[in-house]
Amino acid sequence: MTTNRWGLPDLGIGVGLRTVHFPHILSRHPAVDWFEVLSENFMDTGGRPLHILDQIVERYPVALHGVSLSIGSTDPLDREYLRKLKTLAARTRARWVSDHLCWTGVLGRNVHDLLPMPYTEEALRHTVARVKVVSEVLERPLVLENPSSYVEFAASTMTEWEFLSRLADDADCGLLLDVNNVYVSSFNHGFDPRDYIAGIPADRVVQYHVAGHTNKGTHIVDTHSDHAIAEVWELYRLAWRRTGPTATLYEWDEDIPSFEVVHAEALKARAHREEPATEAASVRRGA
Amino acid sequence: MGLEVPLDRLQRWLQAVVVHRGTAEEAVAAPAARAFVPRGRVGEVLLPSATLRPEQRLAIYHGMYLLRMEEALESDYPALKHFLGDEGFRTLVAGYVQAYPSRSYSLNFLGRHVPDYVRLAPGLRRRGFCHDLARLEQAVAEVFDAPEEKPLQAEEIAAVPDEAWERARLVPIAAFRLLAFRYPVNAYLQSVKDEDHAHTPLRRRDAWVVVHRRQYNVWRQDLDRAGHGLLADLVAGKRLGSAVAAALRRGRRPTQAELFRWFRGWMGAGMFRTVETGPAGPARPAGPARPGLKTG
Repeated sequence: MTTNRWGLPDLGIGVGLRTVHFPHILSRHPAVDWFEVLSENFMDTGGRPLHILDQIVERYPVALHGVSLSIGSTDPLDREYLRKLKTLAARTRARWVSDHLCWTGVLGRNVHDLLPMPYTEEALRHTVARVKVVSEVLERPLVLENPSSYVEFAASTMTEWEFLSRLADDADCGLLLDVNNVYVSSFNHGFDPRDYIAGIPADRVVQYHVAGHTNKGTHIVDTHSDHAIAEVWELYRLAWRRTGPTATLYEWDEDIPSFEVVHAEALKARAHREEPATEAASVRRGA
Repeated sequence: MGLEVPLDRLQRWLQAVVVHRGTAEEAVAAPAARAFVPRGRVGEVLLPSATLRPEQRLAIYHGMYLLRMEEALESDYPALKHFLGDEGFRTLVAGYVQAYPSRSYSLNFLGRHVPDYVRLAPGLRRRGFCHDLARLEQAVAEVFDAPEEKPLQAEEIAAVPDEAWERARLVPIAAFRLLAFRYPVNAYLQSVKDEDHAHTPLRRRDAWVVVHRRQYNVWRQDLDRAGHGLLADLVAGKRLGSAVAAALRRGRRPTQAELFRWFRGWMGAGMFRTVETGPAGPARPAGPARPGLKTG
């Protein structure tokens, strides 16, 4: 069953592919539904990582997830990057290709961070035009993820979810809804995460991310270093009610435990996919 | 009304702050940032949160930048970090990313200039040793990610007529680097990988190493001067007969048994991808044949 407008499949519950888990995956062939592959890790290697990826895609469905598209940057799009991304997508038979609503550098430099956009009409026009180009090059709709952010621009004239909604409509792109990022940003910026979930165009969501974070007291950092907290799972449940069956992926990138632990955390999604939503009020309003 | 900053200038400002070597406060006050947003008007560009001032919020991005760069470089240069220690390596990274900022979509390429930087980095102890160690670790990273090529097969060797070997040229695989050092850095790198860290003395001593990949495993093999000289001639494109003759003219002449043993080992290790027996082409330069690549 699928509910998004492109008919992209609900791949089930997947896990982010990480090198520390390669031996386990190759030797045990765990019963995970699918893997998300970090694009840049495989674009410039002819060695073991690509050799292993080739074996994994023979057995599991995958989607590509990037961090360097820099869709919001005012630098020109990197055509060489796009060419390699398209090649990797074909090689892995990726179900879709995603990246983040962010920019990663200007003036030819890359700071390798998901830097925030101001939510202005100027930024929207700029990003829409670039998403259209990328989708045309990739010959498929680009899927963009809502980022975690730690600053807000005074110039913003709309909320992040309004920006994403208009971007998705105007550029005809898909959305990867990271419910942990929604929670993190709601804490950092003081908005109600339920408004965010309610404001996203459900038929454009083709994938979910769920992850853990680190609460520093004054702010939350999106570290992907732990189990997801109950409030994040509750947001997932709320969103699921709006989108219906949609591919879900658990991310764990710091202090990565065994594959079994990560997979077990991912499988918690089952309960939230099958049970009716509880009172939305149980999700705490951001600080 | 707040300060209106067009998107391109806003991004240049934020990047200037994020990559500044000093504190976030110093970054905001630095000319590179003030060119876009005056220090006193940051509050008109960024909003405070319930708990943090705009400058404190900026500091979150600023603080994560160097950590990320250090983490990426550590994955390619673990022995260099071990030698310099956490603080020394952090200082090296901070200077390095100012001199050689990432200009690629991939962190795989971030460390390609580390050996160059080590030669000039201010205040570095044991610079010659560090330079050799960085070159070795760079070679390992490049070989790890180099394109996979089928090595020369026994039947291909057997198919070369006896009389053709004199003029034959051996072409190495892409995942191959030949290096000469002034310090025994291969032994040091191994001691870092070993649990007990029983480091060899860092006294200057010429050393030669071939780094290559076979069945996706990276190998480091010590050579002696004669073996390195012969291998260097071969990968530079010399004909086999000329290369062997040159080896026999150099200082310590290898015995015939040694020559056979070397060739058997090099062929068995899959270091060559083809043997060319045709007319001479232009000589290949020695050293890395591919752009620098890094562990993914």
